[in-house]
Amino acid sequence: MSALSPKSGSPADCAVTEGHVGLPVLDPPPTAAPDTGKTKNGEWQPYIVGFACNWCTYAGADLAGLSRMQYPPNMRLVRVPCSGRVNPQFVLRAFQKGADAVLVAGCHPGDCHYGTGNYFTRRRFLLMQRLLTFMGVDPRRFQARWISGSEAPKFRDVVTELTEQVRPLGPNRLWREVEP
Amino acid sequence: MKRIGVFVCHCGSNIAHTVDCKQVADEAAAMPGVVHAQEYKYMCSEPGQVLIQEAVKEHNLDGYVVTACSPRMHETTFRKCAGRCGLNPYMVEQVNIREHCSWVHADKEAGTEKAIDLMRMGVAKVLKNEPLKAATIPMTKRALVIGAGIAGIQAALDIADNGFPVTLLDREHSIGGRMAQIDKTFPTLDCSACILTPKMVEVAQHPNVELMTYAEVESVGGFIGSFDVTIRKKARYVDTKRCTGCGACIQKCPSKVPSEFEMEMGPRKSIYVPFPQAVPNKPVIDAPHCRYLQTGKCGICKKICPTDAIRFDDQDEVVTERFGTIVVATGYQQFDISAYEEYGGGRIPDVITGMHLERLLNASGPTSGKIKRPSDGKEPKNIVFIKCVGSRDEAKNRPYCSKTCCMYVAKQATLLKEKLPASKSYIFYMDVRTGGKNYEEFYRRTQVDYDGHYIRGRVSKIFQVGDRLIVRGDDSLLGRPVEIEADLVVLAAGMDPQHDARELARTLGIAYDAHGWYTEAHPKLKPVETQTGGIFLAGACQGPKDIPDSVAQGSAAAVKASALLTKTELTGEPMIAQCNEAMCSGCGLCVTICPYKAITRQPKQERIHGKMRERMVSTINSGLCQGCGACTVACPSSAMNMGGFSDEQIMAEVDALCQR
Amino acid sequence: MKELHNVNVAMRTLARELLESGTVAGVYGWKKGSRPTLTSPLYIQDAAKADRLAYDQYAVSNLSALLLDHRNNDKKRAIFVKGCDSRGVVRLLQDQQITPEQVLVIGLPCPGMVDEAGSLLTKCAECRFPNPVMADQVLGGVEVSKQPSAPTGVTAEAARKVGVGSRAGERMAQVAQLEGKTAAEKEAYWAEQHDKCIRCYACRNVCPACNCRDCIFDTEKKGWVSKAATSSANAFFAITRAMHVAGRCVDCGECERVCPMDIPIMTVNRKLQQDIEALFGPYDAGVDETVVPPLGRYQTDDPEEFL
Repeated sequence: MSALSPKSGSPADCAVTEGHVGLPVLDPPPTAAPDTGKTKNGEWQPYIVGFACNWCTYAGADLAGLSRMQYPPNMRLVRVPCSGRVNPQFVLRAFQKGADAVLVAGCHPGDCHYGTGNYFTRRRFLLMQRLLTFMGVDPRRFQARWISGSEAPKFRDVVTELTEQVRPLGPNRLWREVEP
Repeated sequence: MKRIGVFVCHCGSNIAHTVDCKQVADEAAAMPGVVHAQEYKYMCSEPGQVLIQEAVKEHNLDGYVVTACSPRMHETTFRKCAGRCGLNPYMVEQVNIREHCSWVHADKEAGTEKAIDLMRMGVAKVLKNEPLKAATIPMTKRALVIGAGIAGIQAALDIADNGFPVTLLDREHSIGGRMAQIDKTFPTLDCSACILTPKMVEVAQHPNVELMTYAEVESVGGFIGSFDVTIRKKARYVDTKRCTGCGACIQKCPSKVPSEFEMEMGPRKSIYVPFPQAVPNKPVIDAPHCRYLQTGKCGICKKICPTDAIRFDDQDEVVTERFGTIVVATGYQQFDISAYEEYGGGRIPDVITGMHLERLLNASGPTSGKIKRPSDGKEPKNIVFIKCVGSRDEAKNRPYCSKTCCMYVAKQATLLKEKLPASKSYIFYMDVRTGGKNYEEFYRRTQVDYDGHYIRGRVSKIFQVGDRLIVRGDDSLLGRPVEIEADLVVLAAGMDPQHDARELARTLGIAYDAHGWYTEAHPKLKPVETQTGGIFLAGACQGPKDIPDSVAQGSAAAVKASALLTKTELTGEPMIAQCNEAMCSGCGLCVTICPYKAITRQPKQERIHGKMRERMVSTINSGLCQGCGACTVACPSSAMNMGGFSDEQIMAEVDALCQR
Repeated sequence: MKELHNVNVAMRTLARELLESGTVAGVYGWKKGSRPTLTSPLYIQDAAKADRLAYDQYAVSNLSALLLDHRNNDKKRAIFVKGCDSRGVVRLLQDQQITPEQVLVIGLPCPGMVDEAGSLLTKCAECRFPNPVMADQVLGGVEVSKQPSAPTGVTAEAARKVGVGSRAGERMAQVAQLEGKTAAEKEAYWAEQHDKCIRCYACRNVCPACNCRDCIFDTEKKGWVSKAATSSANAFFAITRAMHVAGRCVDCGECERVCPMDIPIMTVNRKLQQDIEALFGPYDAGVDETVVPPLGRYQTDDPEEFL
C-alpha cells in the first residue's frame, strides 16, 4: 500500500482528493508519521496490533464474539498459525508503521497445537521484551499473553487492559517511520 | 497488479447491525488492486457462493477477500468455492468482521472503522498470496507395531483384520508382555493367561501378521508413508525353522539362571522359553549364561536336539525394512523399589512387589500357586499392602498416579483371602481410586466380603524382628500411629516408563514428558497420535494404563494406522514451510527447532566461483511439515518462509493495519 | 614483545611447513602494519610469505569470520587464534558453516591487546576466556580451556600484569548503568546511538555469528527494512541484529571495535547475555559446540511471565 493512502475516517488530518490520494497536512511532528490511533470526538485512541495463533487465541477471540462480550475496538488481530511464527521483526515493523502497542498471544505452554512452538515464543519474547525495555520502550507497549480457545473472558480482559494501559502513554512515536 | 475481489457478508443482521457493510464495500472498491467489491446477505449460502463465482469469472479475479465470520468457521467453504471456479483455493483470504468485530463492538462507527481496517488487511495479504498445491507422498501399505504386549497384539490384530500386512516386533522372545506375567485380571478375576493366550495364538497365526520377536529397533529413517526401520534380530542360537519346540534341550540344559519372568523367584535354564504358553514356543540360548558359548564345554542341547536346530555360531542379523506407519506399544516397567530405603530398599526378602505376588499366586508360577513367602517358604498370615510406592511421590520424582495399583491390590487381597482363608490383609493407602466399570464395586467387595482392612495413611518404616516384619505407619483417619506385625509385605509398586523409553523416542522422533512417558499429539483429542505423522501410541508407553484401556488404545491406534494404509498416497498440508535454497546457509538452526523433524540438511550442487561445489541446505519434507512456521523465525536470513503465512504476507497485513 | 619472540618464530616455521607440505591451502594470521602499533590481518597461500606473519599485543583482529570466504571449499586452512578468536571458530563450526576438516586451529597465548596509547582494551580487561577454547595445536605453551580461566602460556605473566580479565566481574557495568536510567533517558540515549549509525555493516561483516549467506539487510526483495539510514530503520537494524546473535554472540567485541561511529554495540549484546543467563541459565556461546544455543531450545519450566 502506498504510504500516501488516506487516513480514512479522519478527514481533519488529510486532504482527500479524487482517486483517494491524500496528502498528510503538516500537523504531526516533522520527525514522525501521523499517529495511527484515531481521534474520536477529538480524543486520541490507542491503536494496537495483535498477533494471535490460529488454534488458541484466535479461537478465544472467536468465542468472545460468540458470547457477545464487549471490549474496546482498539486492537486488530493478525492471524498466524502459531505464536512461534511471530518474528520479532514483525513486532518492530508494527512499531515502525505506527502501532501504539503490540500483543503476541498464543496457546498456553504445553498446549501448543504444534507441540513446542510457544516454548520458543516464550524464550524469544521474554528476551525481546527486556531488550525493548532496555532501549526505552515502555513495557506496557509490548506484551505477550497465553490465551486458550476457551478463555474468551481472558481475551476480552487482555484487550481491555492493554487498551487502558496504553491510553495514558499516548501515541508511540519511537521508531516510527518518517513518511517521505 | 493482481485483480482482487472483496465480498462483504452481512450475515443477516449479525454483521450488518453494527457494521456499515456498504461503507466497507465502498472503501474496498477504492483500494488499489480491488476491481470488484460487493455486499450480500449471506456469502456462505449457495446464492452467495454463486455470486462469488460469477464475479470471479466476470472480473477475471486473481483472488478475493471475504469479509465475514471467522475463517475458523468458513475458510474451507470459501476456498472450495474458489476451487469450483478455477481459482487456486489459496488465493482466498477471509477476514473476521463478525466474531472479532460486529459481535463485540456495539458502536457502529467504531465497528465499521475496524471492519474497514480488517478488510484492508485482507486485501493487502491476498495481494501477496501465491497459489499453493499440496504435495503427495506415497504410502507403503505395511505397518510396524513395536511391542507385543496386549496393546501391541490388539493393534496388530486390528490392522491385520483391516486387511493390511503388519509386523509385530518385540525385544523379548515371546509376545505377551506384562499381561502374561499377571495371574488374574480385575475386576472379573479372569485368568490372565486364559484370555491372553488365545489372542497370542490368533495374532501369531494371522495371515497378515509377521511376528518378529527377539528383535530391536535400531534406527528409523524416512517419514510417514515410508519409514525405513533398521531392526536388529538378536542371535537366538536356535534355528526356528528346524526347532519343533519339543523342549528336550531345556530339560537337559545343566545351567540354571534366575528367571526374569518369575521375578527371579524361580530358576530357568540357559536355553529356555520364558513361560510355558510362550509364542513362538521355541527356545533361545541366553549367551552370557550358556556354558558352551562361554567356555566351549558342554553343548548338551546340540547333542540332544532331534532336529539339529542348535546353532552356536548364530549371529545378530540387521535388516532394514520399509513401513508406512508405526504403532508404538512398548509398555512400562515396574518401579524399582530399591529407592525406598524405609521399606528395606528391596533387601528384605519378604518385602515384595505386586508383580512378585502375581507370580506367587499363579498356578504355573515358582510355587505352583501356593502362597509361600520368599524367605522361608512359610504361608503368611498377616499380609500388609502398601500403596503408592513409586506413585504420587514427589520426593521420588513420581508425582503421577500409576492408576492400576488400587485395583490390583484389591484383586490380590481378594485372591489371598480365597487361597488363605485364615489370612488377613492390611492395606495402607493414600486414596482409593477405582474409577472404571465395576471397579468401585470390586473394591467394596474386597473390603466387605474379603475382609480387606484398609488403613488410610503412609507407612514410615518396615523392619525385621525375628521372622516377622514390623510395619510402622500412621492411620491418618484416626490420627494415631499403627504398628502391624506382618509375615509378608507387598509394595504396590507403580509404573515406570521403560528404562530405555527415551532412547527409542529419540530414534522414532517422538516426544516424551519429564518422566519418559510418550507424549500424545493432543491430551484430549489426539490421544493415540504423536506429533510425528504416521506414528501412533498404544498402551502404557503413553502413561500408566490398565488392560482394558491398553486394549482400547491398541484398537484406536490400529484404526488410525489403517486409515493411513487405505490410501495409496497422502496429501500433505499445502501451507507449509518453503526454503529458498539460494539464500539458505545450511546453519541448521531450523532443523533443531522443527517439532516434526521435517527439515534435514541436504547437499546441493552449485556452481560457486566457477567450480561445481556441494553445499548443505535445508530441505523440507512436505509430508512431515505441518506448517507451524517455527523455522521461519529461527532462520536469521529469512531463507525459510511459509506458504499462506509468508513474511511478505504478514508484513503487508501489518502495514495495511497501521498505514491508514 | 619479547615474550612472544619465540612464538613469532614458531608461527612462521609452522606456517611454512603447513603450506610447503600442502597440509593447508592457506594460513590466517597477522602482519605488522604501517605503524608499530598496528598489527593487521594477513592471509597467505605461499610458504615464502610466512616470514611476514607477526603476532603481538596489537593483533586484536578476530580472524574467524574470514574463514567464511572458504566455506564451500574442501581445502583446509590454518588459522591462528587467541582465546576470543577461538570462540568465533566454534561459532562457525556449530553453525555448520565450516567443518572440522576445513580448518586447522592453532592456539596462541594472549598477552592482552592494547590500544595505540598502550593501555589494555576494555574487552581484554573484561575477558573471561583468554585461552583458546579449542585448538588442534598450540604455541607458546598456552593451555586449551573450555572454562573461564586465567591467562596461560609464555605471556601469562605479562597478561596478568596488564590486567587481562581483571574486570571480568564488572563486564555488565555499562548494562547496569543504563538499566538504572529512566525510560525517557534510555530512549534518548539509544535514539542518539541509533542516529549515529551509517549502516556500513562493519559490525556484521566482522562478526562470526553473522554468517548468513544472504543477510536480510542486504536483500531488498523481502523488504524487511529500508536501507536508508533513518532513525527508524537504524533501530530496526540494531535490534534485529542483536536478536539474531542473541545466545550466539561469542563476546569477542569486534563489532564495537570496528564501528566507525562508536556505537556501544557490545552493551546490547551483553544485555542479552545477561538476560539469557538470568532467564535460561548459564551459557557461554562459542565454547562447547555440542550445546544448542538458548533460543534454539527450551525448558518446559522456563520463567513464565505471559500468563
